[in-house]
Amino acid sequence: MSKPDYVQIVEEMFTKTKDKPTKEFTYLGKHVVRWDAISKITGKPLFTADMINLFKNAVFVHSVRSKYAHAKIKKIDYSEALKYPGVLKVITARDIPGINDVGYVLPDQPLLADRKVRFIGDTVALIVAESLENARDAGELVNVDYEPLPVYTDVLQVMDLNGLTEKEHVLIHDERGSDVLSRYKIRVGDVEKAFKEASVVVENKYRTPMQEHAYLEPEAAIAIPEPDGSVTIYAKTQCPFDTRKAVSNVLGLPFNMVRVVAPALGGGFGGAEDVGNEIAAKAALAALALKRTAVVLHTREESIIGHTKRHPMVAKYRHAASKDGTLLAVDADIVLDTGAYASLGPFVGWRAVVHSTGPYKVRNARVDLAVVYTNRVPAGAFRGFGNPQVTFAVERQMDLLAEELGMDPVEFRLKNILRNGDRTVHGQLLDHGVGLEDAIKRALEISGWSEKRKLYSTLKGPARRGIGIALMYHGNSIGAEGADFSTVSLIIQRDGSIIFRTGLTDMGQGSLQGLVNIAAEILGVPPSYFKIEPPDTAATPDAGPTVASRSTAMGGNATLVAAYKIRQRLNKLAAEMLGCVSPEDVVIEAPKVYCKDQPDHHITWKELIEQTFWKGIPIQEFGYYRAPPAEWHEETGTGQPYFTYTFGAVVSDVEVDIETGLTKVVEATVVYDIGRVVNRTGAEHHGVGGYIQGMGYALMEDTVHSENGHVYSTSFSTYHIPTGLDIPERINVDFVEAGFIRGPFGAKGLGEPSIVAIAPSIVNAIAHAIGSKQANRLLNRIPATPDFVRGVLKRAGLAR
Amino acid sequence: MSFKVNLKVNGKEHVLEVPAHERLVDTLRYRLGLTSVKEGCGRGECGTCIVLVNGLPRHSCLTLTATLDGAEVLTLEGLAPEGKLHAIQLAYLETRGVQCGFCTPGFMMMTKALLDTHPEPHQEQVKEWLSSVLCRCGSYHYYFAAAKLAAKYIKEGKIYFDEKQVREKYHMKVIGR
Repeated sequence: MSKPDYVQIVEEMFTKTKDKPTKEFTYLGKHVVRWDAISKITGKPLFTADMINLFKNAVFVHSVRSKYAHAKIKKIDYSEALKYPGVLKVITARDIPGINDVGYVLPDQPLLADRKVRFIGDTVALIVAESLENARDAGELVNVDYEPLPVYTDVLQVMDLNGLTEKEHVLIHDERGSDVLSRYKIRVGDVEKAFKEASVVVENKYRTPMQEHAYLEPEAAIAIPEPDGSVTIYAKTQCPFDTRKAVSNVLGLPFNMVRVVAPALGGGFGGAEDVGNEIAAKAALAALALKRTAVVLHTREESIIGHTKRHPMVAKYRHAASKDGTLLAVDADIVLDTGAYASLGPFVGWRAVVHSTGPYKVRNARVDLAVVYTNRVPAGAFRGFGNPQVTFAVERQMDLLAEELGMDPVEFRLKNILRNGDRTVHGQLLDHGVGLEDAIKRALEISGWSEKRKLYSTLKGPARRGIGIALMYHGNSIGAEGADFSTVSLIIQRDGSIIFRTGLTDMGQGSLQGLVNIAAEILGVPPSYFKIEPPDTAATPDAGPTVASRSTAMGGNATLVAAYKIRQRLNKLAAEMLGCVSPEDVVIEAPKVYCKDQPDHHITWKELIEQTFWKGIPIQEFGYYRAPPAEWHEETGTGQPYFTYTFGAVVSDVEVDIETGLTKVVEATVVYDIGRVVNRTGAEHHGVGGYIQGMGYALMEDTVHSENGHVYSTSFSTYHIPTGLDIPERINVDFVEAGFIRGPFGAKGLGEPSIVAIAPSIVNAIAHAIGSKQANRLLNRIPATPDFVRGVLKRAGLAR
Repeated sequence: MSFKVNLKVNGKEHVLEVPAHERLVDTLRYRLGLTSVKEGCGRGECGTCIVLVNGLPRHSCLTLTATLDGAEVLTLEGLAPEGKLHAIQLAYLETRGVQCGFCTPGFMMMTKALLDTHPEPHQEQVKEWLSSVLCRCGSYHYYFAAAKLAAKYIKEGKIYFDEKQVREKYHMKVIGR
């Protein structure tokens, strides 16, 4: 079968430019000032809640949430609430015209709880009132008769880590007959034999916390009823097309009767997926019921209780190695806590199992992973998507193995990492573009690893220093999870200016600037000719979700294809106008257009564009790209789960106060192989920002639930994220550009990879600082708070 | 019960009738349309709502408008005259730290408060003052650099810049190395 044209175009552009250094491009890989920077420094961009001013006579929707984390609903009485001043309507499950479900991957999550509640954030009723205050007050008057059920807030209450068997308990999802959401495995080689032959075996248990996205903008949605019975929704959502699907489902309307626009977003990190659907559906229900614009506005508390988190992990890992430091086998049982609803849990579990042996040559592996329901706030998508959890365990294990072998942790890793020509644990051949070794070498050089590793080992006293390393790889885009495509639209206007639009959202990361850089490079026009329009389901083709580090890789390819096709047509026309020997000879350096051997004889970009209108040459394109198909064999965990991987090495240099257990990161170095740098500013932001968020995960962040399922950490004084005083003095960021034939100019994604290896690099550094074999084993969970580190020191006999 | 409040906001006098419980953040955002003032937590923890009240930084989410009779309030919208950009804004642009932009107004107002009281702040002062605002994208290092660059501009007497010229020079242009 011949390759689709879009694949040929991407490969052709890669092949043509693969030897061209990034610095020789005009816009690609440069610090281009992002399209919205000037509006942002004036405070002008409208985030959803800022738009409330634009609508007169709006109604406000408040979600009445559960009092119990697990209970049957016997009766809901809202008669008193209805009498409260300003209250217009109370909406419960029975008022939903379509299907009462907002489950992301499977239909397990009612928008409005009807039969039972499964966590403290479940919504039992919506109060629609003239003001938010009145709606909230009236919410107190909704009387729900509950029959409380036992609450499970630790995944080990539901699941036995030994053998991954479900324990006897009162089912949270009785309708499913089991609280095990999904199971995945890897069966490769002969694990038993490898362990028998091993000279070193290391076994440990690991726990990781429930991290909260803590984007600074709380969720908001505004729904406007349209005269034709359709609804327009402005909402904080990172996936407008998924939001449209969810709202259509709830309202019982076809997709074209629901229009979703994503205004400026104050951060997403994966958290603005499910909740965007929920708030949009709630606002839309009220808008269509009242025939008035309806607003949903979350407080920080509602945001923390009401949106999904990072899955906590409990795992048991066993690694085997030979005397010379060759990794022989991995044996692991992993449980992910998905909370009350599946959300993206099945996909998170799959990504976790794919990455569960790290970026190493592993020939023998047995991994079992289960994703399990509890009564916690649901866990879903969060930057890294299952990979930071398993990478924490794997990279801690690697340090323990190195210690057992008496090897330097870098030397041991270098012996086992994936290189060009190697196969992953799944049997996938990595025939090119593996820049991990280069990334490690650069990270060592920049961080001054060798000297520091030696020097710090000799330090004594209460303030110890340590330096640690961790490696990572991360499959790009959604792989075998589903249909993996993206689209953009590129329309050149008659005056030569250009409108760029895609359904991929910018949540702050600036990835759309990277796409414009690609289009500008190909067309030969400056980025300032472009205007970026916001994602709007009525104005752009379905671009797929903005997730999985796919904007640059997938959206970048769609952009490249669109720009390439337009450029071909323009070259042909310009060659005719200028009399160039071949269309290939046309040089566009807007505003100038000329033949390459006659730079003095030129026409203008505007003249060229004007001619396309006279000659009937279309200068608009919907760029489309579909990823190469992924392949996954459920029974063995083999195949080609992702079409490519981003690689990285992270070095953390820390100071640990032996008396208080407080860790401070002094300096950090991150080096990622992202194939090709497309948007340098954005790539650096990911390097730095991913580190800081990963540092929060490593040292301070956890969504703490009480035994009865209430959330303690519902504010920034109880849920701590890194402040300006917590950050390292310096975060060094560098890139390796090993290329990838199916990436735009060879580029890969960086959004998620940038958080994956941070926590283990920090905890490995803490272990180095403490310098005790016993403590090294005890440092098996994050966040490594002062309390926890102090406990480790005590148990290791190093502190009183 | 409502109160009559004389409030000067960004140099403009307003006479407002506000209920006793109305927060300054709501007055600014919803009565006056000054939506650079954000609400990220409503509890004085995130700093995105910080504005200057009589020259000092205040969490507008913790301030009741009724208590501000006769006060002067400055928000990002009033940092520079119409058509101009303040040195702080230019510095934030040039140090290229802006990501989602939700916390940026709070950072810039805190920078204004810092530089009004400490025209030549040292690194520790910059960190201490700007740590009043949270940024989840992780732009802290960039914003610290911006505060220092702004201090330099102001010291050199460069306080306002023509917005149109800045746009021509910077909008989607390649800067730095």
